[in-house]
Amino acid sequence: MRLSTRRMLDRSFSGLGFFAVGLMAASLIVILAPMFVRGLDAFVFKATVEHRRLMLERFGRGNRAVVDKDLEAARIAREPLYRILAEFKEEMEGFDPDRRRMFRTSVRELETLVQSLLGPFPGEPTPALIRRQYGQTRWDQAQLKLQEILYVESYDYSDATRMGTKVYTPRQALYEGTRLHGFFPYLEKHVEAMLRPRTTLYWRFLFDSSLDAHFFGGIWPEMLGTLYLTIGAMLFAVPMGVIAAIYLVEYAKDTGLIQLLRTCISSLAGVPSIVFGLFGLAFFINTLHVSSSKSVLAGAITLALLVLPTVIRASEEAIRAVPLTYREAALSLGAGKWHTIVSVILPAALPGILTSIVISMGRAAGETAPIIFTAAVSVGKPLKVWETLSKPTPALPWNIYNLATEHEAVDQIRHVQYGMVFTLVALVLLLNITAIILRARVSTKLRG
Amino acid sequence: MLRTLILACALIGTAFAGDPSTLVLDGSTTVGPIAKAFAEYYMQNNPDVNITVSESGSGNGAKSIVNGTCDIANMSRFMKHEEFKAATDAGRMPTAHVVAMDGIAVVVHPANPVKDLTVDKIRDIYTGAITNWKDIGGPNKKIIVVSRDTNSGTYETFETLVMNKQKMAGSVEYVGSNGAARQRVQSTDAAIGYVGLGFVDNTVKAVTVNGVAATPQTVASGTYAVARPLFMFTNGYPKLGSHLHAFVTLHLTAKGQEMVEGIGFVPVTAY
Repeated sequence: MRLSTRRMLDRSFSGLGFFAVGLMAASLIVILAPMFVRGLDAFVFKATVEHRRLMLERFGRGNRAVVDKDLEAARIAREPLYRILAEFKEEMEGFDPDRRRMFRTSVRELETLVQSLLGPFPGEPTPALIRRQYGQTRWDQAQLKLQEILYVESYDYSDATRMGTKVYTPRQALYEGTRLHGFFPYLEKHVEAMLRPRTTLYWRFLFDSSLDAHFFGGIWPEMLGTLYLTIGAMLFAVPMGVIAAIYLVEYAKDTGLIQLLRTCISSLAGVPSIVFGLFGLAFFINTLHVSSSKSVLAGAITLALLVLPTVIRASEEAIRAVPLTYREAALSLGAGKWHTIVSVILPAALPGILTSIVISMGRAAGETAPIIFTAAVSVGKPLKVWETLSKPTPALPWNIYNLATEHEAVDQIRHVQYGMVFTLVALVLLLNITAIILRARVSTKLRG
Repeated sequence: MLRTLILACALIGTAFAGDPSTLVLDGSTTVGPIAKAFAEYYMQNNPDVNITVSESGSGNGAKSIVNGTCDIANMSRFMKHEEFKAATDAGRMPTAHVVAMDGIAVVVHPANPVKDLTVDKIRDIYTGAITNWKDIGGPNKKIIVVSRDTNSGTYETFETLVMNKQKMAGSVEYVGSNGAARQRVQSTDAAIGYVGLGFVDNTVKAVTVNGVAATPQTVASGTYAVARPLFMFTNGYPKLGSHLHAFVTLHLTAKGQEMVEGIGFVPVTAY
C-alpha cells in the first residue's frame, strides 16, 4: 500500500471517530437539554398569589402579614369582576325565559372557568378537593386558563370531506349588549393584578410531599422511595454478588455444573425486567410473603436480582485482574486462602467492584418494570426507614410513567412530570459521581 | 444464605404486617382518581394513617384481594365468578362497596364531525364491520380504534354493554389506562376510544350514544346506555370504627359526595 493511501485511510478513520463522538455528544444534548430546561420549570417559575396562599396555608411558609397584604391587593383587583358577574345574574332575571335558559348554562361554564383561574368565589364554602380550593398557582397555566375564558374553542365542520378545523371565537360576543360584556376586557386588563405573578424559586419541590395527587406540592415521597429502593437493592446485591464472584473465581472448579451456573448468570442478565417484576410478585409477595402487600423490601430484593448478574460479572473480572504475584506473596507469607482473599485480593479488586456497583446503582434507580408489581404506588406518604419492610412507596420512575399516561389531569401537571424526570436524572448522576469519586480515592490509596 | 436472609426478612416483615394505620389500595385506573382524592382527604384528617394507592387495573385489584395483598381493591366492574371463587377458596370474603356511578364515554377527536353513534354502530366499529368514518357521516378517513386492555374493568363493562360478547377486530389498539386512551384520541384525529366519565376533558369530544349525552345527570337517571357502578372491595365487612370502615364509607358523607362529583363521577346518593 502506498504511504499516501495509508495516510488518507488513517485520516478518514479518525475523521469518522470524531464524527461518531460528535454525534453522540449532540444526541446527548438533544435528549438532556430539554429535560433539564423543562425540568427546571418545576423549580423556577412565575408563581401567582394563589401559590403563596397555598404555601402559607398548607406548609406554613411565608410571612402571614405579607401574604395577607398580597391577597388583599388581589381581592381588590378581583372585586369589580365578581361585581359585574353578580350584576349580570341580576339582569338575567329580567330576560325572557328562553334567553335566560340559554345564558344559564353558558354562565355556569364561565363560572367554573373563573373559579379554576382565581379560586373559589368569595363567600363560597371551602370545596372538599384541594385542587378546587386554589386558583392557578402558576402564571403559565393561568394564561392558558385566561385564553380559555376569553375565547371559545370550537370546530368548523362545514367541509364534510375533511376533519373540522379549530376556530376561536371571543366569548365576549356571546354577551353582546348585556352587562357581562365588560367582564372580558376587564379580566384581560387586570388579570396580572388579580394573580400578582412573581418569579419564584421553589426548591422545596424536592422536599415537599405531594398534595391532592400531585396537583400541588413536591416529590419528596417519590425521591425517598427511589433512594430506599436503590440502596436496598445494593444492600442485597453487593454482598451476594461479591461473594458469588469470589466463589466463582477462587473456589469453583471447572466442572460442568459450574459451566451451567455461569451460563445461567449470563442469561439472567438478558432477562427482560418485567419478568423480574412478575417473578418478584409471584415469589416474594405471593409465595414467601415477605410483606403483606407490596413493599420497598420486596421491590429492593427484586431489583437486587435484576442487577445481580452485572455485579457478579464485573466483580469476577476485577478479582481475576488482581495479579497472581499478590496471591503468591500472601501465601508465601503464610496466610491462608481465606485470609489472602479478605486482606489482599478484595482490597486490590475494590475499584473494579465499585465500578460494578456504580453501573448497577444507576440501573436500579431507573428501572420501572420490576417495581410496578412489587413496590410502587401512585400516592403514599414518605416512609420511615423501618416502614420500608412492610409498606409500598411511590418511586420516581413509576410516578413519571403514572403522571405521563394514567393521571386524570395530565396536561395540567406536566411541570411535575418534568420535574420528576429532571430529579431522577440528576439523582442517578449524583449517585454515579459519588461512586466515581469514592473509587478514585480508593485507587490512589491503594497505589500510594 | 439467600434463604436465611429472606426468611429473616419475612419474619421481620410479618411483625409489621396488619398495621392498622396503613391502608393499601390497588386496582382500577378509573376508580384511581376517587381513591387518590379520598386518600388525600382522609390523611389530612388523620395524619397518623398512611394510605397508598396503586393504579394497575381492575383485574390486578381482584388478584390482590385473592392473594390478600391489599386492604381495598378498586374495581370498575363486579368480581368475576372465578375471582370470587378463588377468593373464598383462600378464605377471603370479597365485600362490595359501591362508591360512585360512572358512564363510559365514547370519545373522538374534537375535529371529528361525528356527533352521535348508536350502540350498534359502536359495536360495528369495534368488530371491524365499519372501518371508515365516511360510513357514519364523517370524512373519508380510516377509523383508528382504541380499546382498553383486557385486564381493565372498563373493558369488561364495554364488552358486556356494547360488544354483546362479539369479538373485537384484530386491528384494535389496546392501551393500559384511561389516561392513555384519552391521550391516544386527543393526538389522533381519526381515533375513537372509550374512557370513564372523570377522564373526559375538553381535549376530546364525547359523542352522544343513542342520542343521549354522557353526563352525570343521564348516568344517574339511567338513560345513558353505557353506565356502571364503581366498586371498592374489602375482605369481609370492615370492623366498625376502623380506619378501613371509615374509608369505604367516606363516599356516603357530604364531603365524599362532593369529591366524587368534583372529579367528574356520579355520587351514588344523588339519584
